[in-house]
Amino acid sequence: MSAVTARSRFEEGVGIPSPTPMIAVEDLVKVYGGADGAGGAVRAVDGIRFHVDTGEFFGFLGPNGSGKTTTIKMLTTLLRPTSGRLSVAGYDVVKDAAKVRRILGYTGQSIGVDGDLTGRENLRLVGHLYHLPGNVVRDRVEELLGLLQLTEAADRPANTYSGGMRRRLDLGSGLVHHPSLLFLDEPTTGLDPQTRNAVWEYLRRVHREERTTIFLTTQYMEEADQLCERLAIMDHGRIVAEGTPRDLKAAIGSNLVTVRLPLDDGFTAARSRALGVVQSIPGVEDVVEFDQGVTMRAAHGGATLLEILQRLESAQIPVQEVAASSPTLDQVFLRHTGREMRVEEVQPPSRFAAGRERREGR
Amino acid sequence: MTAAESIHQRSPAVLPGVDVLGYAGGRLSEVLWVAYRSLRKLSRNPFLLFFTLMMPIIWLGMFSQTFGTVFERAASSSGQAPLGYDYIAVLLPGIAVMSAIQSAAQSGFSMVSDIETGFMDKFLVAPISRSSVLVGKTLADGIRMAAQTGIVLAIAFLFTLLFGWRIPFASGLAGDAMIVLLTASFGVAFAGLSNSVALFTKNTESTMAVSFTLTFPLLFLSTAMLPAALLPSWLQTFSKFNPVSYVASAARSLILTGFNWTEIGQAFLAVAIIGVLLYSLAVLAFRRQGR
Ligand SMILES: Nc1ncnc2c1ncn2[C@@H]1O[C@H](COP(=O)(O)OP(=O)(O)OP(=O)(O)O)[C@@H](O)[C@H]1O
Ligand SMILES: [Mg+2]
Repeated sequence: MSAVTARSRFEEGVGIPSPTPMIAVEDLVKVYGGADGAGGAVRAVDGIRFHVDTGEFFGFLGPNGSGKTTTIKMLTTLLRPTSGRLSVAGYDVVKDAAKVRRILGYTGQSIGVDGDLTGRENLRLVGHLYHLPGNVVRDRVEELLGLLQLTEAADRPANTYSGGMRRRLDLGSGLVHHPSLLFLDEPTTGLDPQTRNAVWEYLRRVHREERTTIFLTTQYMEEADQLCERLAIMDHGRIVAEGTPRDLKAAIGSNLVTVRLPLDDGFTAARSRALGVVQSIPGVEDVVEFDQGVTMRAAHGGATLLEILQRLESAQIPVQEVAASSPTLDQVFLRHTGREMRVEEVQPPSRFAAGRERREGR
Repeated sequence: MTAAESIHQRSPAVLPGVDVLGYAGGRLSEVLWVAYRSLRKLSRNPFLLFFTLMMPIIWLGMFSQTFGTVFERAASSSGQAPLGYDYIAVLLPGIAVMSAIQSAAQSGFSMVSDIETGFMDKFLVAPISRSSVLVGKTLADGIRMAAQTGIVLAIAFLFTLLFGWRIPFASGLAGDAMIVLLTASFGVAFAGLSNSVALFTKNTESTMAVSFTLTFPLLFLSTAMLPAALLPSWLQTFSKFNPVSYVASAARSLILTGFNWTEIGQAFLAVAIIGVLLYSLAVLAFRRQGR
């Protein structure tokens, strides 16, 4: 991301107009239902504004129901916005939907593979829907099957696939036509850590080697942290923070410091003395006792940490261990919403009342 | 615009296919791929395939037993010369229409299932026309209906040869082909209803309810099961407004007496009218998605 901005700034400097951002969104609103005045309207997206540069890896991070899928569906022409403007590659998404569809690839939150078709047939069908010539489709499909490690299972109906295999196949079907812009709605939900890592690695490669702009949504802090060059944190249909993961964390301005004390007879007394000592240090906040010692948030990194150590030493409190950790996106989320972002591993309720497709991995 | 142009250059493979084929060719290939996928699905479900194809035969046997004696008694009590054919000859074209209606009523199910599984989104994000999806799916159904009719006609013909069933097949093979075309195009046209309901409600049960509620009255308040002369007079009047009657009568004449171009013309007109109406509705329903 820094490279892209650096270049565009440079180009502005020498009078070359900066390129149109790949995605530009202004005052976007989506209200579900309630049009008939029957009440119960849901303001799923509540006036958001952001842009994504060409070549950027951008992410939406937010808990269940924060409006991630709704936004992605509006950007992929699947859903009409209630109001606001949104453009992709300079095209108005509502008016020039047909042009926008040629540019984008999309992998939805629910796995949209056809279980009756084989993996190979699924991918080929998508290739033909994009009007690619037959030989191009064939070559590209084989390439993708190889990349996604599905070659062996390629001739089996997809309803015999495991959840992870179906996820990967679905991912592949968003990539058949070499999209310039790839939308991924929670691409790793339901995957085991190993497969998740493989998918991450693959997405990095697509981003790097095919120079694809990627817009991803996720509920996982780690995923956003690992992949996204820049991200927006969503909550209740609004963007509550935006920036590089690094800047967002730096804005928290404090480290989490954990002081562990020896678990001997004097532990309880030592802990309450430690509590008193660190509380008086400027820059230390949120001191909390726990079963092995105390934790706190410390501003200004190293200096405060040193101060903590010195004060504990001069108060002659025996210290077992001191650990400092950098701020995490969890803390960023907490700071901006006042709530912890809990990700239950339980999947969101499915849209299906009944369906005969196997749906593991959702 | 510079960004947009550079994007098109970077995905060169996307456009030539359309340019080479031309607009109409592009649309045609979309329709055929959608249809191909539906037929592939069907071929992966051998039980479903077997029963859809054999269903008309079962009905033919069943209805010929229940209505057969009624028909023969009615025909003989009318005091005319004995008929040169069995009731099954009267019933056969009706069964062909009936199976087409039945398949048409179920046509929307695959639409709902695609919406539910998220597969529909694959179609919707692709640069293809919305109507290609609709037409491709119902084309596949039409092919299935044609196969159903073809098979039931072939088996009836076989029984005529082997077991002495009295079915005239007055218009020969060309007439049979015409019956296949008539019933399949009627089925495709009528499938517009099931698909409209499917797209408006996105719900299998509603689609089933609406389709079946309409299917049986349409069928039995028509000349599909019995010729007009044997229906009560109020039903005769009603059946004149029922498009099913025109298709059934044209098909019946093809079996019993030969080509009657007036009837065939009326039947295709009826098909065209309901086709235009129901597909306008279905396209409207399709466009409403995502609002
Ligand atoms: N079709 C719909 N009709 C009515 N309300 C909807 C519809 N789809 C989503 N919503 C509501 O809009 C809000 C945002 O939903 P959305 O699916 O965009 O969230 P999300 O961030 O993708 O959540 P998740 O992480 O669970 O996928 C939720 O309150 C949801 O209940
Ligand atoms: Mg979602």
